[in-house]
Amino acid sequence: MTGESDKVGSAVVLAGGKSSRMGRPKAMLPFGGEPLIVHVVRRLGLLFPDVVVVAAPGQELPELPVTLVRDDVAYQGPVGGIVYGLRACGSAAGYVTSCDVPFLSLPLVSHLTSRLPGHDVVVPNWEGRPQPLHAVYRRSVLPLLEGQLERGELRPVFLYDKVRTLKVEEDEIRTVDPDGSSFFNMNTPEDYAAALARWERTAMEAAPDRCEVELLGVARLRARTSRVSLDLPRSATLAQVLSALALELPALVGPVITETRDGLTAGHVCNLNGRDFVRDASRPVEPGDRLLIMSSDAGG
Amino acid sequence: MHGFHDRLLHVDLSTRRHHWQKTGESRLRAFLGGIGLGTSLLYDFAPPGVEPLGPDNPLILASAPLAGTGLTTTAKYAVVTKSPLTGFIADSLSSSHFALALKAAGVDAVVIAGRARAPSYLFVDDDGVELRDARHLWGRSAAGAEAAIRAELGGDVRVAAVGAAGENGVRFATISNEGRHAGRGGVGAVMGSKNLKAVALSGGARISVADPEGVAAAADALRRRSLGEHTAKYREIGTVANLAAFDRLGALPTRNFQQPTFAAADGLSGESLTENSFSRRHGCASCTIRCERLFKSLSGNEQRMEYETLFALGPLCGLEDPEAVLEAARLCDEYGLDSISTGGTLAWAMECVEQGLLPEAGDLRFGSAEAVLAAIPAIAERRGVGDLLAEGSRRAALALGHGSLDWAMQVKGLELPGYEPRSLKTMALGLAVSPRGACHNRSGAYEADFSGAVDRLSSEPGRGALVAASEDFAAAQDSLIVCKFLRRCFDDFYAEAADLLAKVTGWDYSADELRRAAERIHTLKRWFNQREGWRPEDDGLPPRVLTESLATGVARGTRLTAEELQAMIRDYYGARRWDESGRIPEARLKELGLPAGHDGAWAHGR
Repeated sequence: MTGESDKVGSAVVLAGGKSSRMGRPKAMLPFGGEPLIVHVVRRLGLLFPDVVVVAAPGQELPELPVTLVRDDVAYQGPVGGIVYGLRACGSAAGYVTSCDVPFLSLPLVSHLTSRLPGHDVVVPNWEGRPQPLHAVYRRSVLPLLEGQLERGELRPVFLYDKVRTLKVEEDEIRTVDPDGSSFFNMNTPEDYAAALARWERTAMEAAPDRCEVELLGVARLRARTSRVSLDLPRSATLAQVLSALALELPALVGPVITETRDGLTAGHVCNLNGRDFVRDASRPVEPGDRLLIMSSDAGG
Repeated sequence: MHGFHDRLLHVDLSTRRHHWQKTGESRLRAFLGGIGLGTSLLYDFAPPGVEPLGPDNPLILASAPLAGTGLTTTAKYAVVTKSPLTGFIADSLSSSHFALALKAAGVDAVVIAGRARAPSYLFVDDDGVELRDARHLWGRSAAGAEAAIRAELGGDVRVAAVGAAGENGVRFATISNEGRHAGRGGVGAVMGSKNLKAVALSGGARISVADPEGVAAAADALRRRSLGEHTAKYREIGTVANLAAFDRLGALPTRNFQQPTFAAADGLSGESLTENSFSRRHGCASCTIRCERLFKSLSGNEQRMEYETLFALGPLCGLEDPEAVLEAARLCDEYGLDSISTGGTLAWAMECVEQGLLPEAGDLRFGSAEAVLAAIPAIAERRGVGDLLAEGSRRAALALGHGSLDWAMQVKGLELPGYEPRSLKTMALGLAVSPRGACHNRSGAYEADFSGAVDRLSSEPGRGALVAASEDFAAAQDSLIVCKFLRRCFDDFYAEAADLLAKVTGWDYSADELRRAAERIHTLKRWFNQREGWRPEDDGLPPRVLTESLATGVARGTRLTAEELQAMIRDYYGARRWDESGRIPEARLKELGLPAGHDGAWAHGR
């Protein structure tokens, strides 16, 4: 355990599946005006500095800001993809998923990665089944997975009994991803049609995106209110949220929001969903995100 | 000598004698004032293994080089002694006019030993040192004693006193002046054990600085910065702002650390208190930030409130009603009790009751305001179950047994402050290794967790260095002394603070020398503890923190394993260049100019 790093700095996206039931490569399915893989990689890029895409030999892919690796042997199932992906990870552990997860919940991904300390694998149990392609793996499990690959044990679950595996149960998952949207994946043209319909419904409900802002401390006293709901353009950045907030509550400009209306004063900080402190105003805000604006000084 | 008086006052209460001694420039350069000077004097004047509540344990009041110079937030003094709660160093700060009076009394520190035959108070003025009868003050609150002594001796006298808790040897009793407390570690019990009700000061010693114009210019610049955005929280709402924010982050210890969020947080929040009950803002002498908030209860009483008191008497004990928490805080002030340890010990007792233990505690259950308000005076007066609780959670748990030590939320005997270690993992390490026990003031390790620079829910190598740097930073501030709420007003703290010190003292003092002094001071605290019997297992966190995952909030399910904490502790020892078991190698002591053996005083002999 000594010196074991719990930093999960990498995401691995398995894109090289056969897509046989879909009838065409899932990675390239149009989704919200772009190939699905672009959508998934962009979302993961918000959490992980290092994204690895594992594709089949010769598979067509768009230009992506990722480390691209190709399976040595095509279609060896998830274990093959996980092995190739983890080998290419730039950090000690990686979050592994597939390319057909349009509604991946970043709060859930972030929660799973935070559960790694003391474990080798963190895998969510959804509807009674472990979800190996929504799981966090330490690179240290690679030798075991390589052994499985050699023996043809292509199901990741064989690994779980051999290492320190944390199964995150459904009630815990629901605290961060209430309807389990992360686990919506697409295997058939019908699934794809349902995903598109759902995407459009969500887009309509969330167009413009709504963002909840809770003001704490000085911000609340200055604004004389504690909660604001803002309408924002799709994929708005934190700077755009602050600008919208400044319009709604001009009393915050100066003491809390900078005069340029695109950042917070040094005495304040923004936290996303109670989880991450965000310093970078260019960080996109996701639909449904809850922003907390509070003092940057926790002294008491 | 500028900035100091180069004079120590030793008082022996047993013999009613006193003598003066030169402080010595080498000691002052090495340890500055405040906590640093106090620690060096404790090391030299406390006999090894001294019983904390015995007559030989010195009670040290230490002034500081910046005190009395007009620099904002510097009207502070330190109380240093061996803690009756932890058996290790107790180093507490208090502030305001008493701190200025200590400087004006013409001493760098007062070292009080012995035990008076009858209740007494010590009076020091320009004419001399006098031990006066305090029998008529015994049993009174600190504020009551303070007022009575000022009525006796005159309004220019400043007084620090203990309440009933200090007199009765409650191991977490405070010493207080002007409503402020030297709060943690039971310094008030040490004072009470000496039959000493109060120290009263009145002096007109000149406070000379080497470069008056330079100091005035620096004071002006610092004053302006102190009114900027970095201190907005302290100026506009006060530390009570932490409660709601910590709740949202899953970092608000609730019901004896059973949960990190509190369902009634909104009603008890600093924001609600400000909107519904604000009475007035107050500040220490020489302070431009003025962080203190007084709130008015329905009964019309004005009560000071800080985050730590609010957390400890509110969520930690499950109390939801702001009125009840204000009243509990008033009782702690009146009797002179550390509100953190009071809340922590009560919460331990509540869990005992929940477990079917401690029948004599009756209805002392989470959320029972009535029981809390009855228990606080009982602790101060050591009545009934209060006599057990007056020992603090660790000793009480050891006496009760039945595994209750598992839920005594303390480190080294000092109850945890309101920062949940499992969701603030840099802070977890800070709490585990602090020389005075679970402490949020002798390091600000939580700052890393709140900065976004580290992931507060996980840990990796490097946290050790962050904690060590934070401890040294605190040691420098606590020894100069400047208030921590000013800390972010410096661009380059060590360079600017060394420059201030140079302007005050006339010494050629560099940022590096200040850094080294800070490290020396921290190391000496640790070395003192080692002399007094510290063992590796004393660095750690309570079993609950290491075995139970967080039950509620955004960090629900988060754990801090014993292995994870041990890895961080080893990382910290590495950063400190101590050995793997946390002991300080002789070479490190020598590098810092500290005595390698425990047989010799640091420089000047006892």
